[in-house]
Amino acid sequence: MSSPLPPPPPPQWVVALNSPMPRPTKAAASIPDPPGFSSRGGKQQKQQQKQPIEKKPEDTDTLKLKKAWEIAIAPSKQIPMNAIMMYMSGNSLQIFSIMMVFMLFKGPIQGLIGTNAVFAKFETPSTRGRLMGVKAVYVLVQLGLLALGIWKVNAMGLLPTTRSDWLAWESERLPLERAYFAFR
Amino acid sequence: MRLQAALFVAACVSPAAAIYRDEVNHIDFHHALLGAPSPDSTFFLKPSSASNASLLYTISDKSILGAVNPRDGAVLWRQNLSRAGSPAGAGILRGSDGNNAVVGAAGQYISSWTAQDGKLIWENQFLDGVVADLELLELEEAGATSGTRDTLALISGEGTGAVRRLDGASGEIKWEHKDESGDVAFQVSSSPTEVFYISLQSALLKGYKIKVTALDLVTGRQTRQYTLNSENDIPTPESVLFVGANVASPLIAWADKTHKTIKVNVIGTKQVQTINIENTSDHEIRQITIHAPHKLNSLPHFLVHYVTDNGAWADVYHVDLKSSAVSKAYQLPYIQGQSVVATSSIDANVYFTRITDSEAVIVSSASHGILGRWNVETSSEAAFSAISEVIAKGKNVAVRAAVLREAGAWELIRNGQTEWTRHEALIDAVAATWVEAEVQENLVHELEVEGHESMVGAYLHRVKRHARDLQYLPEWLKELPQRILSSILTDEVTNLDSFGVSKPVIVATKSGRVYALNTGKQGSVMWNTQVEKTSEWDVKSIVTRPGEVTVYIGDGSSVTVNVSTGEVISRSVPTDVKLQAILSLENQETIGIKEDGSLTGAFADAAAFLVTTSADGHVLGWSGRDSKSPVWEFVPPSGQKVISATSRPAHDPVASIGKVLGNRSVLYKYLNLNLALVTAVNEKDHTAGFYLLDGVSGNVLYAANQAGVDPSQPIASVMTENWFAYSFFGDVVDESSAKGYQLVVSELYESSAPNDRGPLDAAGNYSAVDSLPLPHVISQAFVIPEPISQMAVTQTRQGITTRQLLCALPESNSIVGIPRPVLDPRRPVDRDATTAEAEEGLFRYAPFLEFDGKWYLTHSRDVSGIKTVLSEPTLLESTSLIFAFGGDIFGTRATPSQAFDVLGKSFSKLQLVLTVVACAVGVTFLAPMARKKQVNLLWKAN
Repeated sequence: MSSPLPPPPPPQWVVALNSPMPRPTKAAASIPDPPGFSSRGGKQQKQQQKQPIEKKPEDTDTLKLKKAWEIAIAPSKQIPMNAIMMYMSGNSLQIFSIMMVFMLFKGPIQGLIGTNAVFAKFETPSTRGRLMGVKAVYVLVQLGLLALGIWKVNAMGLLPTTRSDWLAWESERLPLERAYFAFR
Repeated sequence: MRLQAALFVAACVSPAAAIYRDEVNHIDFHHALLGAPSPDSTFFLKPSSASNASLLYTISDKSILGAVNPRDGAVLWRQNLSRAGSPAGAGILRGSDGNNAVVGAAGQYISSWTAQDGKLIWENQFLDGVVADLELLELEEAGATSGTRDTLALISGEGTGAVRRLDGASGEIKWEHKDESGDVAFQVSSSPTEVFYISLQSALLKGYKIKVTALDLVTGRQTRQYTLNSENDIPTPESVLFVGANVASPLIAWADKTHKTIKVNVIGTKQVQTINIENTSDHEIRQITIHAPHKLNSLPHFLVHYVTDNGAWADVYHVDLKSSAVSKAYQLPYIQGQSVVATSSIDANVYFTRITDSEAVIVSSASHGILGRWNVETSSEAAFSAISEVIAKGKNVAVRAAVLREAGAWELIRNGQTEWTRHEALIDAVAATWVEAEVQENLVHELEVEGHESMVGAYLHRVKRHARDLQYLPEWLKELPQRILSSILTDEVTNLDSFGVSKPVIVATKSGRVYALNTGKQGSVMWNTQVEKTSEWDVKSIVTRPGEVTVYIGDGSSVTVNVSTGEVISRSVPTDVKLQAILSLENQETIGIKEDGSLTGAFADAAAFLVTTSADGHVLGWSGRDSKSPVWEFVPPSGQKVISATSRPAHDPVASIGKVLGNRSVLYKYLNLNLALVTAVNEKDHTAGFYLLDGVSGNVLYAANQAGVDPSQPIASVMTENWFAYSFFGDVVDESSAKGYQLVVSELYESSAPNDRGPLDAAGNYSAVDSLPLPHVISQAFVIPEPISQMAVTQTRQGITTRQLLCALPESNSIVGIPRPVLDPRRPVDRDATTAEAEEGLFRYAPFLEFDGKWYLTHSRDVSGIKTVLSEPTLLESTSLIFAFGGDIFGTRATPSQAFDVLGKSFSKLQLVLTVVACAVGVTFLAPMARKKQVNLLWKAN
């Protein structure tokens, strides 16, 4: 085993990159900057980025909650529009109304399943308690949409709510005696 | 639910529930029957002088006059000459070539019909007696309109006789000759110049003398009269063998009692010639018949046919016109077996056609040379008469002969080939039933065996059965390509035979015959058997068991017949008790019901009840515990008598126990298997009562009384599921009542309120003895255009299909199937239906129910004399088989909710197959191309 060869000397551009630039000459320094260029720009940006970190954590929580409330309330805005659409589409069984009812059910059910996912980004240890109320409202609103769908399905006659829907499970009453008829 | 309702409405109200043109003769069949033809009044006739085509004309024992196409045996037209109230008499029919009319007589009526299309020319009624004989005058008088021949009619009354000459065009009497000497008016005969009236004068001691009265043709005045001393030979009028009509020398012939000699008198002369019969066979002569041509210009030759018990021969005689001497020309030899002879003439030549068991032979009357000889298929039925038509083409002759057989069948034999057979005895059908085809029977039997074995045993049995079935595999494979091909090419999309739509029907007739008809093949006769030699076979019921049918007769006897061959398997002896009905229970036990309603024996099932009707118009209920005295008796009130009673059919499945209303609540049906609908009539005060009885307790559940009912008109009733219908002729009794034929429909419900199952509510079963709630009945009446003689209801396998009320209409000779939704008694009265009601399929009530043309199951057919309509479910829920009999035979398939489970005719299998093939070809071509393209795409991407 021979010892490894020493590494080759770094190229010139690496050396230039690593060593700081020599101070510009006086003459060069006197050259004015091109219009629009600010040699201090980079510093200012750094200052601005530092600003939010400086804010208090309570404020962010309030903001998050406010945002969460907005998301929770948003589906309720669909309710009047959906109600009008459902009312208008009629109770007949057609592909259009069936699809509309399907969409009406699909939205809230997906929303309910993904409740936690929707509010996950607002969830911090400090907001968790307060988010419960928001989630409850969100669920209620989705349930309201579902209720609209159920009302529609009922109006279309698809819910087994009447006696006739259970008629097939009722059986004929049988006599204990049997009569035979021998008429001419 | 609404979807169902929508489909339901579409199914019932759809206007297309009619029979299409291409379904005629495919799903239905019709035997237009005439009855057994009368041999003397059956003949070939050319209806128009312009054409050489001839038709077969006959009048039957039912007095139905008909013209039959000799080519295919189809009835071209028929007319029923029998009139209610007219004394019955044998039907007589006469016609002559070139005359455009045939003249028929039955009882007191004589009528003339156009020969070509059967339209009435004139009709005449003679109140002084029945028509005994008819002749058409051959010679046309100068000045008479061509094509019409005058008719000579002989009317035989009580001790009087009258000869009348009727005008051929109008039927008016031209002259009449009355004979009030008390002789039996026998026959009338004519020669070119004279009319001979032949009567039988009672001799002093016994027998009859033949009296011949010659009348002037034009005036009808008596010219001379003579009597032949024949009293020793003629004890009854039937003993006269022959009275020749319309030959140049008409004959009277009779034989002595011992069949040793025949005596012949040429009418117009007084001499009687005696012909000795040379009987060379060892057997006694059973029957002598004389055959002579009926045409005026034919040679005066005649043939005497002798029949013994096992053979027959014939002699041909010539009559000398000048001397009136009769001489024997030649003999047709003695041939074993049956033999019939028919006469036909072309111009002056006379031909005799002799049809025996094995051959048909034509000879000319002039010489014994055989002009034509053909082999004939042997028939098991004895022939008793034949008529023939000979066509001579140069030296060759062709013959077609209609042979009348004792079975009431007649067949046309053309040059030895049987062209068609008409089974006229079917007109007397009194009972019928469906049977399973043999293949199905075997399977049913095997399945039964499996059902009774243990699980392992049944499994082994099944494996064995399938192994046995493997022997049919090569055959099945061989047939497969042909089956596929034929199923693509045939008219019907699916061969429905395996779905039970072509079940055989077993028919029993009054004449003691049993027929098997194949409903899948236009009702063709598969076999027929003379089971009993009788003319009044009192069939009560036909019961089927696997492989056999048993016919029960009113005298207590029964005959069991093999379903596939018609052989009699067993008979039981008659009892001395006359029965009015026979009940066959599920355990193959039978109970006879006597005339007074009592039972012939006890029945084993103690929990069962039996309901019968008695001759004095009561309904009796019997219990299995005591078969001596009835448990209950129903006597209709106010002097009414029970005339008929019906119950729900044995197979009456109920698809839904409630009726769903428009608001989706449920009206529960009142379903009781033990219901009987009893029709009682008081003939004096013209009331009719319809009583709904419970067969177990005898309780009257519902009663409807109708005033002003005409009891002489047909009253029909039917019951099924939870509804019943009846029809009658009602007269006006008060301001609100309607006059006309009425049809009343009633539905039974548990309660008037929806969603209410009545007092028993959801109980699983109930005893009619303890508690039986009354039904809530909703009724509606309709005025219908014509009477209904018989009602039935279509039956389907599960009762899901809407039912049709099948009505036999005797006045329009048809069967109509009224859709049940039309007869819904919940139809709104005096207002339009609300949306909810419209969803149920209800529409506004209209008191007059006109039969829609689409409802007629018989469409344009003339199905006359129907007495019974039967319905049978098939394996297809949509389809019900219908069979009607009693006069004509008619069978069809009814699809009240359309054939929803069968591919329609517009479905093209060929198109489907071609599409699949095209797709497959496309895929095989495109798949490599697509694969290549995809691979190329991958290369290009990198």
